[in-house]
Amino acid sequence: MDDLIFALNDVYFSYLGKFPALCDIDIQISRGQKITVIGSNGSGKSTLLHLLDGLIFADKGGVNFCGKVLREKTFSDEGFSRDFRRKVGFVFQNPDVQLFCPTVKEDIVFGPLQLGLEKNEIIKRLEKLADTLGIQGLLDRQPHQLSVGEKRKVAIASTLIINPEILILDEPTAGLDPLTTRHIIDLLIEENMCGKTIITSTHDLHIVEEISDMVYVFGANKKIVKFGRAADILNDTDLLAANNLVHIHSHRHKDQVHVHPHLHIEHHNNSGG
Amino acid sequence: MQNGFLQSLDPRVKSITFLLFIIQVLLVRTIPALFFLYVLCLFLALVSKINLGFFLKRTWVFIPLFALFIAIPSLFSKFSPGEALATWNILGFKFIITRQGLGAALTFIMRVVTSVSFVVLLSITTKHFELLRVLRIFKIPQVFVMTLGICYRYIYLFVGMIEDTYRAIKSRVGTSVRYKSGQNIVAWNIAFLWARSFKLNEEVYRAMLSRGYSGEARVLNEFKARLKDWLWLFAAIILIGTATIYFK
Repeated sequence: MDDLIFALNDVYFSYLGKFPALCDIDIQISRGQKITVIGSNGSGKSTLLHLLDGLIFADKGGVNFCGKVLREKTFSDEGFSRDFRRKVGFVFQNPDVQLFCPTVKEDIVFGPLQLGLEKNEIIKRLEKLADTLGIQGLLDRQPHQLSVGEKRKVAIASTLIINPEILILDEPTAGLDPLTTRHIIDLLIEENMCGKTIITSTHDLHIVEEISDMVYVFGANKKIVKFGRAADILNDTDLLAANNLVHIHSHRHKDQVHVHPHLHIEHHNNSGG
Repeated sequence: MQNGFLQSLDPRVKSITFLLFIIQVLLVRTIPALFFLYVLCLFLALVSKINLGFFLKRTWVFIPLFALFIAIPSLFSKFSPGEALATWNILGFKFIITRQGLGAALTFIMRVVTSVSFVVLLSITTKHFELLRVLRIFKIPQVFVMTLGICYRYIYLFVGMIEDTYRAIKSRVGTSVRYKSGQNIVAWNIAFLWARSFKLNEEVYRAMLSRGYSGEARVLNEFKARLKDWLWLFAAIILIGTATIYFK
């Protein structure tokens, strides 16, 4: 299939060769899809995203990108490496990791400069992005002076400026206030509508439906427990509870104690509890 | 940062002229020449809207440390023989301050004060990242400049971590910590920071790779020298020449 971008076949990855992080992973991602990976802490979500971005490599099985197997030596080919980095953009979970330059502006233009884009084009993209994300006032600031939400926006800008076809985001809304979360979701939806493939890992179940065509649930055994359409996955309360994604919520209505699973799904639609 | 004269100059031209001033400070031998350069430095601070009290405090705080303790012995005849200005006899030892010794000590202190003043003035009128970029025009390899920038960036992150750890300890054990457990806490903190910085190093490198870094960092050169900068360079050369010729 021409539209197939990533194909993972029976992938196994371990840290230091003895701590398994991913087992028996089979995933296929097509152009323009919205994929979300959910799972409890330590279930291998971030590891999967690092594999997809060619930052680490599978111990067993194969990660294919547009028909080419991603291995360490594949990236020795400068042409392939540059092409891959232009096509695939990654927003790290911790923005402090991604913002390593002395100023916000230098951080944002770092990627396109390394990839050999024209200076004028970079400046044009920078101005447009800063305007879209409302970060014009931050450009000359130092990254350590920013709030978490601002850092996250700058980290996203530093990836979007490359204009990648595939956008990988590791928990992009973690620790953000509702309005900033909303901005980021809107941005992702917009990017997807422009044809970009969006791959996200998250714990925030209330954003899953909007940013997913397909949801993969990772279990504590580092395997895919289930995958399917967002609505089907989110309605499977037993599955979510078994994977630490919902909890039983107890609260009081007048004199009666009311107990139900707390899904955090409806929040952003009706801002209800 | 205030918007004064030095702040408006191209950082490259400013750094070059300041380097020339500092070389001049090292080369001149007379106190009037050093005094002229020091007054020039204070004048530049004034036209750059730098609070003089703040500036003097920032420069003079280094002087006892770097100059005074070194200069004191050179006052005495033992190190600078010559015409006696004052003599003391303490416990049978004769201490003589000589005119030549006093001159040498004053020249040394003036030289240190003026050099430090120029360096401080440059640092408070130029953003640190501009100074880092300026290093490249002196042909310092990009990898060093980038490493310096990254170090500066992450120092703040680690300072934040240390502060958080300190507060976490304080919230659990209070302020009175026994000597032995205090030692343990410090040792654990150092170990934790080392482990964290090691992990961070790996993650930052991955973040760089992810955005196309392939061993040699490319940077955006945005410096633009205008007529004002060239005029300032010309004026600085005239001032240095004047100091050399007039105070020979």
